[in-house]
Amino acid sequence: MKRSAVCLFVVIAIGGWGAVASAAGSGDKGKAEKAADKGDAAGAVPEEGGPNSGPDIGGELDLSDKEAKNVDAAGMAAVRASTTLSWQDIVVVPRKRFLKGGRFELAPYTGISVNDILVRHYVFGVDLNFFLSNALWIGLQGNYYIKSLTEQESLLGLQYNRIPTLNRYLYSGSLNMGYVPVYGKFALFNKSILHWEIFISGGVGVTQTEIIPRTPGDAVFGNLSLTPNVGIGGRFFLLDWLTINYAVRDYLVIDKFESTNRPRNQSSADAKAQADGAMVHNIMFYVGAGIYLPTKFSYKTPR
Amino acid sequence: MMKRIALPFLFALTLFTLPSIANAQRRSPLADAPAIRKRVELRQTRLEFGAGMGTSVNQTFYHGLTVNVRLGFHLTDWLSISGVGGFGVSSLSTGFRERLIDSLQPANPPNPSDSRAPSPGDANSSLNKTAFFLAGQAELTPFTGKYSMFGKLFAHYDFYVFGGAAAMNFAAANSGGAPACTDTPANDKRCTLTGMQIGGTGGIGFHSFFNDFVALNVELRDIVVKDNPAGRDVDGDMNADKGDLTWTHHVMAMFGLTLYLPSTASISP
Repeated sequence: MKRSAVCLFVVIAIGGWGAVASAAGSGDKGKAEKAADKGDAAGAVPEEGGPNSGPDIGGELDLSDKEAKNVDAAGMAAVRASTTLSWQDIVVVPRKRFLKGGRFELAPYTGISVNDILVRHYVFGVDLNFFLSNALWIGLQGNYYIKSLTEQESLLGLQYNRIPTLNRYLYSGSLNMGYVPVYGKFALFNKSILHWEIFISGGVGVTQTEIIPRTPGDAVFGNLSLTPNVGIGGRFFLLDWLTINYAVRDYLVIDKFESTNRPRNQSSADAKAQADGAMVHNIMFYVGAGIYLPTKFSYKTPR
Repeated sequence: MMKRIALPFLFALTLFTLPSIANAQRRSPLADAPAIRKRVELRQTRLEFGAGMGTSVNQTFYHGLTVNVRLGFHLTDWLSISGVGGFGVSSLSTGFRERLIDSLQPANPPNPSDSRAPSPGDANSSLNKTAFFLAGQAELTPFTGKYSMFGKLFAHYDFYVFGGAAAMNFAAANSGGAPACTDTPANDKRCTLTGMQIGGTGGIGFHSFFNDFVALNVELRDIVVKDNPAGRDVDGDMNADKGDLTWTHHVMAMFGLTLYLPSTASISP
């Protein structure tokens, strides 16, 4: 009987060791060592917001226990070595994928005007925003415009013997505020999950405009126009520091246009003095990227 | 003596090892799992009926207001086929048209210094507008999910893109006697394009579900057909005829409600 028991224990022990060795594997051993190293470096209680505290990317669920404050380093290493995944790691309400409060967003973009059938503007610009909270920001915006006359503009002369009175935009700058009323997530073919948000923004700035003289060769004049703006847009969160942004903004340019009664060879100063004032909607569609600094963020609340 | 020592040792070793075996055999409960469990299948194998309103957004002379209907069938969660129709109920003159007509001189005969310009009546008589359009399309719905508004209201939604064939019917915007555009150059350098034109359509759309079978539908649609909205010379031959038709974008914003049948949606595993 004793001999049988001994044999049974030996078999179980050998089998058990084999299983443990197989489960650990070389990769997991490496991870276990790294985890132990991090645990040693960070002390017994890993800090929230450390190198591993950010959520994972690509929409995958974060199953690693990054806030195991009461688990000592050796325990963490052992737990990680044996893959720490359990039902307890699945939370009913996950935390937000991306935190913006206290971070800067550097957002270069490009866009196109959508509402003027005679002159089209392409824009290259950048937003520099600071997030006061996860939903509210203030920021500066700068734009550089390139104009292109449309086919309709060229047809006006042929069809109606008319030359339109048009202005072009050169550059603009504004101080904006924004708010995020809507956020959500979507499944891409039910395979992966991406998070997004919709924002609204508004601000005021100036736009440097310049007339396109109806008579080629006439002197041009510029105007620094007050330009309030409102917009709506969205962000797709790709990485801890990167978003894809899009927006539609309406710039209300309070501008001056070449007078329809302008005589030939009139000086630019006189032409500007006789210019007609008008407010013009310049609606532009943008697509760009948002780069967040610092590139990492920390969760402040428990999971 | 040896057995007496070995037996407790092996027993202790086994007790130590067994939890390790159990631990080693644990794997992620989410391994191989779908991104969403217990998902409300709001589209798959369901019929979709819709109705709403639309307006053109980039027309040169007249914005068209339409009443729209749609009928679709979702073959899978992400692929559907549908037919859409929009019927003009009103048209609004654009600011560009009003400024242009105001700039033309009503003199008859024309002012010699402005003889190449048409009179306002002539200019108006050749303009056309959209009477109705029909489209058959395939829709791809890659993005589906839930969103929160102000952290209080939650709703399912989806984004889709679509493309297909379309036909647009044009009618004269004003009475005034401009002849219909044909292959033969019209007198007085003006003609009105009327009738059906075949082309393509494409765009993006959005559903926001109020419940399992009613959703708000917003769509941005571009219908590309050959058109000559002004009814005047385009190719520079100083005549107006069918040779002046060019592929023209007709962008429309559409809003409406859609109903899904059956009214209850299945739940995924």
